[in-house]
Amino acid sequence: MESASIAAHNHHVDDHHHGPPEAHQSARIDRTVLGILLFILSEIMLFGAFFAAYFFLRVVADPASWPPEGIELPVLIAGINTAVLISSSFTVHYALEAIKHNNHRGLKLGLTLTWLLGATFLFIQINEYIHIGFTPRDGAFGSIFFSLTGLHGAHVFVGLLLLTFANIRAYRGHFGPEQKDHLGVEVPGIYWHFVDIMWIIVFLAIYIV
Amino acid sequence: MAAAIRQPGWYRGAIGLVLGAAFGFFLVVGLRLLSGLDAMQTEQTGYPQVIVPLITAPFGFLFGFGAFDYWFRWAAGKPTIPEDHSGHGATRWQDYFKFNTDHKVIGTQYVVTTLFFFLIGGLLALLMRAELAQPGAQIVAANTFNGLFSTHAVVMIFLFIIPVFAGLANYVLPLMIGAPDMAFPRLNALSFWLLPIAGIIFLASFLAPGGSFDAGWTGYAPLSTGAPLGQSFFNIGVQFAGASSIATALNFLVTIITMRAPGMNIWRMPLLVWANLSTSLLVVGATPFVAGAQFMVFFDRILGMNFFNFLEGGDVVSYQHIFWFYSHPAVYIMMLPGFGIISEIISTHARKPVFGYRLMALALIGIVVLSYSVWAHHMFVAGMFSWLRVPIMITTLLIAVPTGIKVFSWLGTLFYGKIHTYSTAMLFALAFIVTFTIGGISGVQLGMIPLDIHVSDTYFVVAHIHFVLFGGSVFTIFAGIYHWFPKMTGRMYDERLGRIHFWGTVIGTWMAFVPMHWVGMDGMPRRVADYASQYGDWNLLISVSAFVLGAVQLVFLYNMIVSWRFGPKAGNNPWRANSIEWHVSSPPPVFNFDEIPRVVGGPYEYGTPGARHVIMGGEESADVPEPKPTTVTAPS
Repeated sequence: MESASIAAHNHHVDDHHHGPPEAHQSARIDRTVLGILLFILSEIMLFGAFFAAYFFLRVVADPASWPPEGIELPVLIAGINTAVLISSSFTVHYALEAIKHNNHRGLKLGLTLTWLLGATFLFIQINEYIHIGFTPRDGAFGSIFFSLTGLHGAHVFVGLLLLTFANIRAYRGHFGPEQKDHLGVEVPGIYWHFVDIMWIIVFLAIYIV
Repeated sequence: MAAAIRQPGWYRGAIGLVLGAAFGFFLVVGLRLLSGLDAMQTEQTGYPQVIVPLITAPFGFLFGFGAFDYWFRWAAGKPTIPEDHSGHGATRWQDYFKFNTDHKVIGTQYVVTTLFFFLIGGLLALLMRAELAQPGAQIVAANTFNGLFSTHAVVMIFLFIIPVFAGLANYVLPLMIGAPDMAFPRLNALSFWLLPIAGIIFLASFLAPGGSFDAGWTGYAPLSTGAPLGQSFFNIGVQFAGASSIATALNFLVTIITMRAPGMNIWRMPLLVWANLSTSLLVVGATPFVAGAQFMVFFDRILGMNFFNFLEGGDVVSYQHIFWFYSHPAVYIMMLPGFGIISEIISTHARKPVFGYRLMALALIGIVVLSYSVWAHHMFVAGMFSWLRVPIMITTLLIAVPTGIKVFSWLGTLFYGKIHTYSTAMLFALAFIVTFTIGGISGVQLGMIPLDIHVSDTYFVVAHIHFVLFGGSVFTIFAGIYHWFPKMTGRMYDERLGRIHFWGTVIGTWMAFVPMHWVGMDGMPRRVADYASQYGDWNLLISVSAFVLGAVQLVFLYNMIVSWRFGPKAGNNPWRANSIEWHVSSPPPVFNFDEIPRVVGGPYEYGTPGARHVIMGGEESADVPEPKPTTVTAPS
């Protein structure tokens, strides 16, 4: 890792300080960013548990047909929904790039668009649940379909909450070009990219393969 | 009073608890009435009017208690209150009952809470041993017995062993790496407060209709999917305990990676830090699997899903795969921090550098990697894929290699050391090496398929798990508590009582758990309230020893409580140890350091003339030569 650095040691020390001393930064990555990455790692493993169940229900239990007879998944609508969600990854990236260049208008535009695209995705998803024609109680397929898409939907919901906070603060004129001043955009953005990529995997596993 | 209700704290917490429970209850009842259903649903796998409040009430409490106040301000875009550190550190005992962000307070909260649950789990075990003292049914009914062994295991695992290590590390780890606190202090406090919630949910299951969860701590489907209401309490409690340990692990990882003092490169980190780094990697990666498994059981129970219902295309064995993919790494989560504690203590009290320091650290990482590949050795008789058996047997035996490296390195550290046994901590560390090695060897035996098939679900397995968890983990916990007690409280415990506790514990452990191997080899099944009369004599001995073991823990409790209040002052460094936490006062100041210390050498340079680990802030450093960048404790 880093070599023995003593540069940070020689700063002026106020004898009468009230708070803790500033921690020595021993890695280049920001704490919050590393925190969200590790959180995402554990989220991936949670999805992993459900994908393991998917594998057992589909491959090991080896049902006669998958999806079961009489179930037609709305691949087209889900595909459009996928496009909606993927495009939101670009808008959130645009928002981050904008604030890095101190462009507050771009930040607000990007965050608002991302939020609207995410909400659209969730709306279409719920609509699909209502009209899909089977319930979580209908066989193993119903279980894994609703768990995987529902687990993902819950993540979209959490991501939307984080984006709501970022939007509120963006419209109040917070955030700035320094990294420490726009972590409130960067961290929800990283989470949002994770939600998008996870959807592509869920979409492929449930609707396509 | 009105002000007390607006302030975060117990009043607001209690109101939040009631409001949370009411919200959940009326949500369920309201939705049911709107859909034209009966208001209440009392199928044993249902009870949504109980289950939903069980989830919403803890959140109501946490909101009221102040766990989310800062985050809410941030989320609402309000200017955050400048940190006045009023929620940080403890000056009175009441401060330990608050949402406190000081890692030292949180560490103490953890240790005290988990010891309380240790007591509860122990009492559950003694109830079982009372029933098992004689063949036949005497004290508890068979299904109560099932509830007892299930809650005993769950309380000991999720509320004692896993979190007590998190507590000890919470206290000493930031000090050891020269950090003023953990990376996310508020998340740290939240992790702690999730824990008693999980404990209360587990124990509250005794009040549920049908009794507490009784499908074992493993909760195998389909036994668990059709079990009475208590099983849902287990499913939910595990989520709280799991969230708590994931958040703590994440916190440890970020703290260790980004907040080490200048000069502390990875090869100068004490092995306790290495141990918690590897444990946290396991927790972050594996714990979501147990959350997933319990979600699936929960969905099967409450929503009528069919993950484990064979008739509807479910797969029964998949539960075991998903569960053990967490729960085998979990046994290393329960052991690796203990390895770290033992390395600290052995090196300090043998006055020698740790033998093979780098290999010790790499062995930890080796265990982390291997532990993800051995889960199915719990399933040799479960009817799983037959092709998976031999590969899993091989990886299981392989994992003995890094573990063996650690055992031999401790022996190498002791070899020709100036071994001091004036500390009870060292006695426990030495006893740990012996007991754990025995337990480890029976683990290797269990990893071999033919023997495993013979002793599956017998007391041999019970003997193995208790040798490694009690003779292993719990011994390291005792060692750690004795070792850092002077640091945490500023006072010395009573060595004489410590010795009584030590010998009572060691003798009790061996007398209680060694005969279990023998009755297990003879085929006495585990998890059954009654047994054939031929096992009666051994079981009487086991029960008597268990009660001795239980009674001697009261000595420990008395020693800790009385010494905390009345013990003699301990001084900064009673063990003449090297690592940074011993260079600050006992107990350490609120913000740990006035100035971040500078690390100039390895942590275990005992007996090396002129070697230094650290230069504290304000210390004259002119006479210390600038260290070579790669100073490393070479294996001596």
